[in-house]
Amino acid sequence: MFKHLFKLIWNKKKQNSLLITEMLISFMVMFAVFTLIVNYYRNYNTPMGFTYNHVWAVNYDDHQQFKNTDSLTLYYETLRKTIKSMPQIVEVSFAGGNIPFSDNTNSTGFTYKGHQISRINNYKVGAGYKDVFDMNVLEGRWFNSGDKAAAHRPVVINETLKNELFGNGRALGQIIGDRDKEKGKLQIIGVVQDMKDKGDYYKAGRAIFNPIDTGAFRYIGQMVIKVTPNADAAFESRLYKTLTNYMKTASVEIVHLPSMRQDVNKSTVIPMVILLTVAGFLIINVALGLFGVLWYNINKRKGEIGLRRAIGASGNAVSGQIVAESLVLASLSLIVGAFFAVQFPLLHVFDLAAGVYITAIILAIVFIYLLVLVCSLYPGRQAAAIYPAVALHEE
Amino acid sequence: MLKNYFKIAIAVLRRRKFFTFISLFGISFTLTILMVATAFINNLVSPGYPDTKRDRSLYITLIEFTSNKGWLNRSGSSYYFLTHYAGTLKTAEKIGIASRAHSSNAYVNNKKLVIDIKYTNQAYWDIAEFQFTEGKPYNQAQINQAQRVAVISERTKLDYFGDVPTVVGKYIEADNIQYRVIGVVKSVPVSSEVFYGNMYLPYTVSKSDYRDHGYQGPYSAILLAPTVADVPKMRNEYQQMVPKIPIPDKDFDHIYSNADTYFGGQVRQLAGSGSKSGMGVFIAGAGLLTLLFLLLPTINLVNINITRIMERSSEIGVRKAFGASSKTLVYQFIVENIILTAIGGLIGVILSILVLHFINSLALIKDLTLSLNLTVLFYSLLACLFFGLLSGVYPAWRMSRLNVVTALKAQ
Repeated sequence: MFKHLFKLIWNKKKQNSLLITEMLISFMVMFAVFTLIVNYYRNYNTPMGFTYNHVWAVNYDDHQQFKNTDSLTLYYETLRKTIKSMPQIVEVSFAGGNIPFSDNTNSTGFTYKGHQISRINNYKVGAGYKDVFDMNVLEGRWFNSGDKAAAHRPVVINETLKNELFGNGRALGQIIGDRDKEKGKLQIIGVVQDMKDKGDYYKAGRAIFNPIDTGAFRYIGQMVIKVTPNADAAFESRLYKTLTNYMKTASVEIVHLPSMRQDVNKSTVIPMVILLTVAGFLIINVALGLFGVLWYNINKRKGEIGLRRAIGASGNAVSGQIVAESLVLASLSLIVGAFFAVQFPLLHVFDLAAGVYITAIILAIVFIYLLVLVCSLYPGRQAAAIYPAVALHEE
Repeated sequence: MLKNYFKIAIAVLRRRKFFTFISLFGISFTLTILMVATAFINNLVSPGYPDTKRDRSLYITLIEFTSNKGWLNRSGSSYYFLTHYAGTLKTAEKIGIASRAHSSNAYVNNKKLVIDIKYTNQAYWDIAEFQFTEGKPYNQAQINQAQRVAVISERTKLDYFGDVPTVVGKYIEADNIQYRVIGVVKSVPVSSEVFYGNMYLPYTVSKSDYRDHGYQGPYSAILLAPTVADVPKMRNEYQQMVPKIPIPDKDFDHIYSNADTYFGGQVRQLAGSGSKSGMGVFIAGAGLLTLLFLLLPTINLVNINITRIMERSSEIGVRKAFGASSKTLVYQFIVENIILTAIGGLIGVILSILVLHFINSLALIKDLTLSLNLTVLFYSLLACLFFGLLSGVYPAWRMSRLNVVTALKAQ
């Protein structure tokens, strides 16, 4: 039966070549769309790893000049204490520019046992950072004041990086080499749960947390503050006054993390909606086209179908044949399409998990089959309704 | 003859209404999407408010340091760099300098406002033709005295002062400092990087030290040439000067700073680096994307056209039997197809106007209004023609090779 169908299609390969190309390109489009959707969906389903509901960020751009590092540290330490003493403030921490939901990324790399590991998100954090975001420490501990005396610079890493480096082994106390040789070695003192800090649709990636050292205040321009739920706009304007009165030479901006999260998610969702609209339009276009061409082909084959009916084929058998032929056509293009699509997980294009690609391939195949099935059902029914007498008479 | 083809085309279109619908649907929606995209790009390329002198301006937005070790440092320029080096250009008539918009907060009646502050020099107001709804820009004397005067946008006026007739002379507070409002301008969308701001202040009141002799900073410059013809000369002059600028930092061994057209500057930020403008990469990428996008509707249209033409094989057979050459027939079918795409294009234009209206009303980017102007329409017409030819040529060729006998027998 299938051999017969293939033979039928093969004999008309020239007429069908355009249909096959069309299905092939539709498959590739759907593959791309599903890859994105599956990837975003998987990321969306992983836990956030931190809280941000009552967190504010302060961006300041201070131009104060200091004679030495001690007065610099003292200046900012006094500021921190002033803010901390306000009643609505739960915790304060200075931070590098890449605070959660900002569009700022700072990455680093280091060597471990001769392996070069790169693209690690590098966070500069103060001691209070953990409590501002309610981060979960899975192993070891967060930074404390005793760390300044340590022989190696202490760092905290996240779960992803730990699994990549040590698997199930022990991460605590391990020494890793900094890329910058002069700065010496780093010692892991804690492992924290992954923080999905680039938005709901992006996974956490590798991360390493470095404590802010005294000289860092020269270029750091961010503070993260956890406030109590009753902190309102009136309090915010009071906080603002306090900040600008203290940092006379700075421009200050207060932003709320929930609204930053919305913005960052929007920058993922809006292009996605545009893409889906365009893809949806292309698919409607293709569906209408397939439908039209199949329908026309049935009309052209009236004679052949009439003959089959005359020698005893049932209506269902005829419509079944039409549908099966279309599905064989689809299979031909899907085989070619799948061959190209499989290269993505094999060659590790775009650094996505293989599972994402494979799910996307399966979804795209199912989608194209459904599309072709839907488009061929009506022409098939029409073919079944052909009366042998009428059809043969026309001939 | 053409009138005849037109009549035939209309008759054919009306015969198979379903196929006509599919074709028109495909053509009009494809063109709508292309036109909306062109409207976006057109907004970037062609002069618009307040940058009406864009065709005789060049923009210096970035400065880049590289070293052979692979280090790269890219940022805006400092005020010192722009006045000290770009300021020496002989061709440039005026040099407007403005900082990146910097966000700051203001609190009015316990409501928080975000105010994006931009520091500018005086020439900036001569180059950019801002529409002042009241007041005027600050002058050189006010800049020299570092007076705390501000030009604000209509949006800020509404947000900060409410719906009042005049605000000139009133005070606005940002960063806990009072500025006296001396002018109000029509708002600029945030996508127009060099011109967007909610509050414009003299550079001399900026908190960062504009006298700093480093090269990097938040500023960018607009160079205005006396005439459009002088623009290439001005660009050459700048290009020849940059390699002679001493490199301040020992870690780096190359310095790149370019005077680009507005669009060129945008592309450089996206795709360029070092001495590469990124224009080739951008055009190739955008072209490839457009082609890929056009591929599906085109193949679809070709499919439908073939079906349609094969249906008319008897007509073709008769015409051939009476001596019509293949060339005439191909010509006829292409003309018919172009008529079809023209109708689709017309529907597409109407749809685009609706879609653009919808996008504008959504206000995805504040103060940005997209419109279909003559340039966009011209490009759409071109796309329409291309589309019509692309989807018409192959079916017409297939048809013209049809054997007379087979064609007649099909009936």
